[in-house]
Amino acid sequence: MSKPNSKVSQKNSATIDRREFLTTTGLATGAFVLGFWVPPKTADAAIIAGAPWYEEPEVQEINAWIVIDPDDMVTIRIAQTELGQGVWTSNAMMVCEELQCDWSKVQPQYASANRDARESAPEWTLDVMGDGAFDPIGGGEPLFRGREPVRGIPDSLYRRMRTNEASSVRDGRYYLQLAGAEVRERLLLAAAGQWGVPASELTAKDSVITHQQSSRTTTYGQVAYLATETPHPNPETINIKPPSEWTLMGKEQNNLDVPAKVTGELVYGIDVRMPGMKWAAVRACPVYGGDVKSYDFDAVRDQPGVQSAQQLPIPDPSLLRGRQFSGAVAVVADSWYQAKTALDQMPIEWDIPPQSATSNTADMHQELMDAMDQPGTVRVDEGNVDAATVSADKIVEATYSTPYLPRARMEPGNATALVTDGRVDIWLGDQSPQETRRSASVITGIPEENVYIHLCHLGGGFGRNGNGPQAEQTIMIANANRGTPIHLLWTREEDFVGTTYRAMGVARLRAGLDADGWPVALEVRTGMQEDGFGPTSSFNDTSRYYVPNYRFTNHMTQFHIPCGTRRGVGQAAHEFYRETFIDELARTAGKDPYLYRRELIARTDLPHRDDMIRALDMVAEMSDWGSPLPEGKARAIALEEKGAEASGTATISAMVHTVSVSREGVVRLDRVDVALDQGFSLINPLSVKKQLEGQIVWFYNDAMHQANTVLNGRIVENNFDRFSVSRIKEDPPEINIQFFETGHWMRGMGHDRATSVQSGIGDAIFQITGKRFRDLPFSQHDLSWG
Amino acid sequence: MAINLEVNGASYSVEVDPQTPLLWVIREQVGLTGTKFSCGIAQCGACTVHLDGVPLRSCRVPVVAAEGKSVTTIEGLSREGDHPVQVAWKEFDVPQCGYCQSGMIMASLALLEKNPNPTDAEIDTEITNICRCSTYHRVRQAIHRAAELMQTREA
Ligand code: FES
Ligand code: FES
Repeated sequence: MSKPNSKVSQKNSATIDRREFLTTTGLATGAFVLGFWVPPKTADAAIIAGAPWYEEPEVQEINAWIVIDPDDMVTIRIAQTELGQGVWTSNAMMVCEELQCDWSKVQPQYASANRDARESAPEWTLDVMGDGAFDPIGGGEPLFRGREPVRGIPDSLYRRMRTNEASSVRDGRYYLQLAGAEVRERLLLAAAGQWGVPASELTAKDSVITHQQSSRTTTYGQVAYLATETPHPNPETINIKPPSEWTLMGKEQNNLDVPAKVTGELVYGIDVRMPGMKWAAVRACPVYGGDVKSYDFDAVRDQPGVQSAQQLPIPDPSLLRGRQFSGAVAVVADSWYQAKTALDQMPIEWDIPPQSATSNTADMHQELMDAMDQPGTVRVDEGNVDAATVSADKIVEATYSTPYLPRARMEPGNATALVTDGRVDIWLGDQSPQETRRSASVITGIPEENVYIHLCHLGGGFGRNGNGPQAEQTIMIANANRGTPIHLLWTREEDFVGTTYRAMGVARLRAGLDADGWPVALEVRTGMQEDGFGPTSSFNDTSRYYVPNYRFTNHMTQFHIPCGTRRGVGQAAHEFYRETFIDELARTAGKDPYLYRRELIARTDLPHRDDMIRALDMVAEMSDWGSPLPEGKARAIALEEKGAEASGTATISAMVHTVSVSREGVVRLDRVDVALDQGFSLINPLSVKKQLEGQIVWFYNDAMHQANTVLNGRIVENNFDRFSVSRIKEDPPEINIQFFETGHWMRGMGHDRATSVQSGIGDAIFQITGKRFRDLPFSQHDLSWG
Repeated sequence: MAINLEVNGASYSVEVDPQTPLLWVIREQVGLTGTKFSCGIAQCGACTVHLDGVPLRSCRVPVVAAEGKSVTTIEGLSREGDHPVQVAWKEFDVPQCGYCQSGMIMASLALLEKNPNPTDAEIDTEITNICRCSTYHRVRQAIHRAAELMQTREA
């Protein structure tokens, strides 16, 4: 805390005291360098309470995930990033379940991405089960096997440190449970050795080890030091518990970091403070691919606090998964406000690629529409779509479109970096620290083994926290100012330039119906830019609803707007197209949209067919489907599935959206009923409910409000005045959630649920107003009626 | 120019350009980082603090406007997180990423101080902060719960 009544000086020239870094600790596993910053303890110190990176404990770890203090406090290392999805708690639960330690004495801590660069994964974490549907212990086929890097998952210590695809539980549960089990077994072996009894006679519960026969007990804290020196003779024989034996997992647990989030003490990347730190404000060319032609630092150099300015080249696309951002100018000053003020006043001229300088949404949309008239790439071609369409009783065709969409997480892009001659330290919230580690090494020439990433919680993620160059820009500036910690912070407007987008998309769906209104042929064409993330998503796997003749082609264009893994990726748009089209078919056929879906699922032989039917039936009952509603109100139903086409992991849900539209055209999502497949079990059902509540409103925003348009090559809506986000008054007053157990493991929860809000609101608008809109967001249309 | 401020009951004298937004003085010179920056244009409410008990978006208030007044930030609510609003927030496990929550809590507290038992409609008009994680459902429940807790405390 700051000192009351003190003069706070603006010029802080303190240099880094090397003692503030703990550099080495000798562990049994060999010496390596740990990069946890030890906060200074002086009164002028940075705000560090609640920092998610800790001093490295003096106590030795038992394995790379677990440290147990003599007082039984258990530190559990988390290799994914907490961004509100609850991974900080659910990963700790998976370890604790097997460790059988006292849950009230658990503290999570970020795993070291630096150690991850230096150490290999233990043998017993290698054949990680997970993708099988029917084995409650761990799943059938390994998700990734041996030491081969599969799907970007290396064989380094913590394997996957990425936080994406709602996969933290799916990919991690097997080896996280094993990590807990391995330590439990070693604690038992240590206690058994001390007492001279076989370990098989001991039991462990809530951090207490008991030898029944002799009525002896000890605690984890008391034998932990012995366990560090007691290897397990056959770790590969250790089994994990099936869900039927879980005691902690599967029950709602409050999130461990919530107390620090209601007092303001939790440290996000933006809150990191270092002695002697300088602030950087950055402006990148607002047209992607553009660069700096000139800037006039002399015009602002004498402003208070201003230290320097620097041109930042276009970041190497190979560090950013091939995406091209822009060249930029940075101003470094004593405070951020000084840096930003100077940057605002500094004349900058841009070099804008002529082909992007005039691009705008309308032309880009037309280009996508034109692409759909070209042959495209045939992805699926079952039966004979053309012949079946010609002989169909009726043909229904519809064209849909969805705009560019950002994540717009609440915490603007930022990072703090200190580069010295042999070492890089970075403090930031990051969904892919292993990639950032590489960026730091490439930019500075310092080997990855000497790059220390101090992870912080993120103020929202919604997809690899933007995939933008905040870390790369920060490292470039810090590299030019070696010895001085640099804290870069983007304005909100800059955050809209530094992010990637979900690609703008179009689709044309064409179905032939038989005389009873059932589809005999379906053709789906989608158009999206080539690097659009998910241009084939979901339609590629299955038509979902039964149709004997099915063709899916996708049609690519090239645009300069960088695209990335925004929550739901391409699938979110595709769900809008498909579920809306099914509603249109049901209405053309004069059939109930619930029963129409139900019948078309029942006709498939999809492995998870029965679970999909169950979801539909359950949600229909929950919502009192079919009961009368007052004028101006309507219900719409939809199915959501990921993975239903194969027999592996899947997530299945059905939702009913009750919507009202006033005569003036004001839409309100009144009620949402959700039936969600929980697989064998959820880990933390409370976090799942919160994710559902959040995603309902996320896709409500996509349906009703949000779009980014392009004018003269730039994104137009770049702050919350023009880019609208719903407030509490639009939150659905009633959300009912029910889970049902199925015989497969769940695929993930954080990103592709509640996409049906889009088609649901659209169909309700149609029922109430008679108008069918096929382009999002709906608020661009006149929704009044009567 | 030295500006005298009172933040959470403590006095500070800071040397800054008087036009510097109060938010940045709180976060940088005073060193309290619970108050957050997100939009900088008074849209989102992440930077909400109380000035003489009135909630305001500190990203658009020059520090000079706070001179001689009393500023309360999230850190001023309680030392242990046991203010009724914080207790209610924990009970409903409201935060997801948590980034908006300091502002959300400060806005909710201001509402409850003015209106000890707000209706849903009053919450709708008074709480205009953005939460991108959309914790609104739990925020609403927690405001009602906090209203109960505050009344019990006073009774
Ligand atoms: S940062 Fe002040 S209202 Fe958004
Ligand atoms: S909890 Fe993440 S923005 Fe509100």
